[in-house]
Amino acid sequence: MNLDWSIVWQSRGPLFQGALVTILLTALTMLIAVPGGIVLALMRGTRFKPVALFATGFVELFRNLPLLLLVYWAFYVMPVLTGLGLPPFATGLAALCLNVSAYNSETFRSGINSIRKGQSEAGLALGMSRSEVLRQIVLPQAWRRVLPILASTWVSLFKDTSLVSVIAVGELAHTAMQIRSQSFRVLEMLTAMALIYWLMGYPQAKIVDWIHWKYGVQE
Amino acid sequence: MDLDVSPLIDSWRFLASGLGLTILLSVAAVVCSFVLGLAVSLGRMYGPPWLRVLLAFYIDSMRAIPVFVVLVWIYFAVPIISGYSFDPFWAALTGITIHVAAYVAEVIRAGITSIRKGQTQAGLAIGMSGAQVVRKILLPQATVRMLPAFGSIVSVTIKDTAIAAVIAVPELMRQAETVAGQSYRPIEVFTTVMVIYFLVIFPVTRLIDRYYIRVAHLGRS
Amino acid sequence: MTAFARKNADRPPMLVYENVQKRYGTFMAVDGVSLHVNAGEVVCLIGPSGSGKSTLLRCTNALETIDGGEIRFEGRPLPKKESNIRQIRQRMGMVFQSFELFPHKTALENVTMGLTTVKKMAVEEAKTRAIALLTKVGLADKTANYPANLSGGQQQRVAIARALAMEPHVMLFDEPTSALDPETVGEVLNVMRNLAQEGMTMIVVTHEMNFARRVANWVVVFERGQLLEQGPPQQIFEAPTVERTRDFLSHLGWNG
Repeated sequence: MNLDWSIVWQSRGPLFQGALVTILLTALTMLIAVPGGIVLALMRGTRFKPVALFATGFVELFRNLPLLLLVYWAFYVMPVLTGLGLPPFATGLAALCLNVSAYNSETFRSGINSIRKGQSEAGLALGMSRSEVLRQIVLPQAWRRVLPILASTWVSLFKDTSLVSVIAVGELAHTAMQIRSQSFRVLEMLTAMALIYWLMGYPQAKIVDWIHWKYGVQE
Repeated sequence: MDLDVSPLIDSWRFLASGLGLTILLSVAAVVCSFVLGLAVSLGRMYGPPWLRVLLAFYIDSMRAIPVFVVLVWIYFAVPIISGYSFDPFWAALTGITIHVAAYVAEVIRAGITSIRKGQTQAGLAIGMSGAQVVRKILLPQATVRMLPAFGSIVSVTIKDTAIAAVIAVPELMRQAETVAGQSYRPIEVFTTVMVIYFLVIFPVTRLIDRYYIRVAHLGRS
Repeated sequence: MTAFARKNADRPPMLVYENVQKRYGTFMAVDGVSLHVNAGEVVCLIGPSGSGKSTLLRCTNALETIDGGEIRFEGRPLPKKESNIRQIRQRMGMVFQSFELFPHKTALENVTMGLTTVKKMAVEEAKTRAIALLTKVGLADKTANYPANLSGGQQQRVAIARALAMEPHVMLFDEPTSALDPETVGEVLNVMRNLAQEGMTMIVVTHEMNFARRVANWVVVFERGQLLEQGPPQQIFEAPTVERTRDFLSHLGWNG
């Protein structure tokens, strides 16, 4: 077993770029999937049956499928559906957004439902409209419960970006695997890949812990 | 868009064997990760300080590293270190178990610590030992409380088995890729496989939810 | 039973319940209740738990919708459209058993919430009115406190001030003291009694028999969704005409 760890230092440029793409994917997905989740949650709660049903179906579908499958499916289906030749990054981003929006909608739905009914009734009793009650009473209280869960979702998403490597998106996992194939330095590159993910992910996990501690619900 | 599902019909046995392996891998991974997770959580809560630190480090590391990375490391890197060549199935089982067990451990720990101290005190007051209190009073209640979280862990585990495709485990995802590649009919193949996965995962999570609603009262003290 | 002239009976009643029905599935929570409330009256609804008193109260400001009969407020039936209901709710104040103060707002902000959001009042004017009301309920020094830093009795008094801020024509109290420690029950009942003496129309669902005896102008006894008996407090508490009223009161340890 002869190891040559210098390959890691030599590839630091591409690896760093890969890490940036990972972060970019994570941030962009959340940017789209948070409003997406809110929209879906509101659609599920509406009294208009067809809309509520569609939203529920959408959420249940994308929560109960492997992300890897979604990535492949998006890769082959999206060009046909949209007629455009989309770059892998966009396809991967789309698959991630569909998946995370569905999870976020559940987060928002349970956050909103966790506020005691009496609170909305107190607002309605004063003559407030339903949307005023939502905006001024329910949402300001619900975001405290939603934030820790969104933070956990962020970290899961950060890890899930590794899956879009299979359609050749240049994030960290793909970059590391490529260098491994080209240099035959398997152990070194795979260990480096694990280590870089760990270096990025461990602090994020600790921040999530802090957010849970700070915004934990006291009834 | 012309659809042709004949490749699916021709390869149905191939895909079915993939589904069988998916189910086998899922069940095995769930069982193993629950056993390991239970051991880890007990060590975290009741073990000596050095063990607690070590296990906390392990759990937090699994929160940082994707399961994809763990799988490829075990399959490609371990043989180089140990000279032992892994069968893809066992590599996948090991990797998924190690990753999921960390979450199981956290859920169990949260479940047990959520039970009021008074329950432990009541058990000790009638002369039970610490271990008996854990076994007879805490774990049963905690198990009920943790059912929804366990349900989502089972769901995640089944989805993780699909990632085993990248280390050539011939489960459903891998078989689907092969058929899609050979038949040039990726849309039909992947859409069908999506339906199959949904039909496997959705009922499992629903069942666990239903069961929880029925027994939830047993966990409320 | 001697003829009893109800307060302000010469004017049209403020609230009329006509054969009101409310069901949950197959269960009739309110089963054909008819009664009326005159302006300035304090009407207490008493009866065993689950007898429909709270349900009727919540139907009054349309937090629940009735399945049969009619409720008329100031001569007109309760509207069906959400936007019209909101107008009605502004003229009714409700106080809840669990206070339901908004935990993310101070006492002052809880009271101004309705004024600024619903009545679109200017903030300064709303604050002035809120301070006056909080002073009236005895909490002038607690305006900046969050509900978490107020006792149960203090929270309920803030809730009363919040409802009063909207200048309602009638105040609806849903077991306002049931969730309070015995020591703090008195401070809330005092506020309610003062309100009654100022002539506010009040409908109070309560288990506080002493309060009902002393402050109510009219008492209505519920059982299983129906009216058992109604009359002035002297009748209900000293000489009830219906046997089961006597039973209910004696179960509460009421000896007159």
